[in-house]
Amino acid sequence: MPQESNTNQFTSLFDNKTLSMLERMRLNPTRRLTNRSRGEHLSGKGGTSTEFSDYRNYVPGDDVRYIDWNIFSRLNRPFMKQYQHEEEMHVVLILDASSSMDYENKFLRCQQLAAAFGVMGLLNFEKVSVYACNHKGSRPAMFAPSTGRISMKRLFDFLTKIEVGGNSPVEDAVEDVLRIHRGRGVAIVLSDFESFGDLQRPFNMLFSAGLEIYGVQILGSSEINPEINGDLRLVDSESGQTLDISSAGDLLGIYHEHRALLEDHLAMMCRQRSGRFLTIDSGDTVEHIIFDLLRRKGWVR
Amino acid sequence: MNIWPGFYSLQGAWYLFLLVPLIIFYFLKLKRPHKRVPSLALWSSVINDRRVNSPFQKFKRSILLLLQILLLLFLVLSLMQPYVHSGADRAQYLPILIDCSASMAATDPETKKTRLELAKERVTELIDNLLPNQRVSLVAVSSTARRLTAFTDNQRVLKQSLAGLTVDDVPSKLEDALRMTQALSRTKPIKRVLFYSDGNFPKEVNFDLPFELNYQKLPPAGSNIGITSFNARKSQSGNWDVFIRIANSLKSENPASIEILQDGQSIAKEEVDLGKSDSQRIEFTVNTDSGSALEAVLTPGSFDSLESDNRAYLTIPRSRSLLVYISDSLASYRYALADDENLELYPEQNETVGPAEYDLIISSSENSLEKPGLVKVGVGFIPEDLIKYISLETNLTDVVDWNRSSALLRHVELNDVQITEQPVWNENSGVEDLEGLGYEVLVHGRLGPLLLQKRKSGDLEFYFLFNTDRSTMPYRIGFPIMVSNLIQLTLQEAGIAEVQASATPILPAVEYVPDETYQIQTPTGKRYSTESNKNGMVSGVAALHVGRYLITGEGADSDEISVSLLNPLETSLVTIDEIQFSEVPVMAAQSQVDSDKPLWSEFALIAFVLLLVEWWYFQRRPAGIPT
Repeated sequence: MPQESNTNQFTSLFDNKTLSMLERMRLNPTRRLTNRSRGEHLSGKGGTSTEFSDYRNYVPGDDVRYIDWNIFSRLNRPFMKQYQHEEEMHVVLILDASSSMDYENKFLRCQQLAAAFGVMGLLNFEKVSVYACNHKGSRPAMFAPSTGRISMKRLFDFLTKIEVGGNSPVEDAVEDVLRIHRGRGVAIVLSDFESFGDLQRPFNMLFSAGLEIYGVQILGSSEINPEINGDLRLVDSESGQTLDISSAGDLLGIYHEHRALLEDHLAMMCRQRSGRFLTIDSGDTVEHIIFDLLRRKGWVR
Repeated sequence: MNIWPGFYSLQGAWYLFLLVPLIIFYFLKLKRPHKRVPSLALWSSVINDRRVNSPFQKFKRSILLLLQILLLLFLVLSLMQPYVHSGADRAQYLPILIDCSASMAATDPETKKTRLELAKERVTELIDNLLPNQRVSLVAVSSTARRLTAFTDNQRVLKQSLAGLTVDDVPSKLEDALRMTQALSRTKPIKRVLFYSDGNFPKEVNFDLPFELNYQKLPPAGSNIGITSFNARKSQSGNWDVFIRIANSLKSENPASIEILQDGQSIAKEEVDLGKSDSQRIEFTVNTDSGSALEAVLTPGSFDSLESDNRAYLTIPRSRSLLVYISDSLASYRYALADDENLELYPEQNETVGPAEYDLIISSSENSLEKPGLVKVGVGFIPEDLIKYISLETNLTDVVDWNRSSALLRHVELNDVQITEQPVWNENSGVEDLEGLGYEVLVHGRLGPLLLQKRKSGDLEFYFLFNTDRSTMPYRIGFPIMVSNLIQLTLQEAGIAEVQASATPILPAVEYVPDETYQIQTPTGKRYSTESNKNGMVSGVAALHVGRYLITGEGADSDEISVSLLNPLETSLVTIDEIQFSEVPVMAAQSQVDSDKPLWSEFALIAFVLLLVEWWYFQRRPAGIPT
């Protein structure tokens, strides 16, 4: 759960120093999936920004304002100067707020990471929207697309007020979000991805919707290195289903193999859709995750 | 050997029914602790993994139950008291005879173990493998038999008795032990008797075996050299000629040196070099009139198996004259002995009082033979107890036959002796009647015995049933020879002309005050007391170890009596492979005794190990946790 807010702190999710560092960072998407509306992100298309991009031959109908007259004077042929187009990028944060996230600070890290990505988006004039999914079939809690520093406080308030609990699987949550959301950019999915369902379809939908997938798997320490032994009855926190296992200690080796397989599978699905995937331990500090892990992985700069 | 074990207590298998409650309780008690996890997605895929559902993994799921079942099985097997059949008959009552005679102290050069220690090891192994219904009795065999334990299965008692068993410096005598075992067989059913020995005992045993004797012959010891005889004889010059015989065993040649100590002072030393199975007699001269204690010390030059035969002791008595009483009527004897300076003849002229005790009494009346004396010769009368068998007639007769090996008649020719008095057998009388009374016929006449010999409570008696003076005997050359033999015999009986070292296992009889208690201290330091009889004789005292025995008491002021082993058989370490009994021979067993091997302790150990494994398995750190 979020820490008790301190009167001197802007938000209970980070301290002010971390926040100020976050304000100077921005997302580093692989693809430039942007919206038509102008923004701070340079699009791949030619634009009217001050950033020079290339030359091309003049064709009739082109805006003569962009002819490079210096070259024309030397070559006596018109060439068009092209500039990068700065367009707006949409940052969609999809938070898995089901019961499975209510373990070992998993959801706190989820909130903190969402806030961090949100701050980066807002302060770089991207549109940031947040969706938190609790219960299957119900409409996800939504932070409407916003931009600018002015929305930062609202974003923090929204994130800290999200109630964790419910049985919404992450694949349903993504589909629910895509029913509401419009806009291209980056979709950051914060979940433990421990789902019985198949993520192919929701990831395809995200890709089709022009969203670059950032999968962040948040696992607790007991999920990464479970220390159990003997005969146990495991109870699912979301569905209440039970599973009897014997000699749990002997199964841990297989568990680790399966967890690694899941990670590889998720990473591959993200990569196939020009996305990224990362597993983090909820026991790690948010500063370590953002300023060390994500920066080294090239997610942020 | 049958590889399938037998079970002594098969009824212990009923405990296998405990498996039922064990399994029931296992599943009843299998309350799995609940553990909430964020999601079962991963665990479900783990459980669905093919490896988890492999037979081995399924087995591992219940490994605790399996361990518990195995633990119970092994405990029940222990209770059933399994054993491995040796193939040999299992006797319920088993007497074990263990030879502990002198030769059992022999060691071999490699292991330095005595034969008795080897026997103890083998018997200990048997005791360790005793089955619950088996009872063992230990019997020590030396010159006599000693029952160490009653029939028991108490291993502590058996091992304690076995540990306390020591070698006695005495020769072996198997008969006593077998008779004792025969007596035991009247109370317990005894089929088989085990006998552990090195095989150094007389081959022929006068005994009818009522049971099977398993003769377990121990491996032979090394070479040995020892003293087998030690005696002395007074020479004509008044000195003592001391004779020592040293014998070597079969194994190897053995050099040695022999030293004679007279009252603790070395007086002679000689080197000997004996070949295999050789013996050598060595002679020394000792000058003493007042009596001496001699000690012969043999120092082997190479490995010597047996220690106890390397020392021997001999006591030379004080010199004195023989006291001889001759009836006045027997002039021929008096005449024959008159010139001997070493004799004092009684009765002397004009003297009626003689010594209280004589060495030799030669008398023509039975009354005179009542005087105390060592050797008595009655001449010319029939002893009162023989009157009903023999009568004396006045007829001429001669000698038909005589015992030429008798000490009295050695080198004596009686062929042409004419006798005027003829002893005649009464009707229905014969030699058997005399033998029944302890007499031995030395000379046979035509119609009856002429000379009888009787050993009577330490005294030696001879009876000429005719008057020798009324025969031609005194005129024959045989007469002085016979008188000389008589004197030699008396000297031997008096022990003043020839003396032999005393040997184990009995102290020589000594005379002290009648009906008194005497303390005896053995060479090993043990003390015990004995009583003299009404004649003052202290006799029958066991002397199981070579050395000096101290006697204290009334009339004995720390007197020393020494005994030695002096047994050629024990020194030779000769072993026999076959014991010849009255009817059947018994060969030494070719193999050691196989006893049924109990397995309950092994099964109990496995059960304990299983318990530890189960505890470890329950407590161990899960194998899947990465380090």
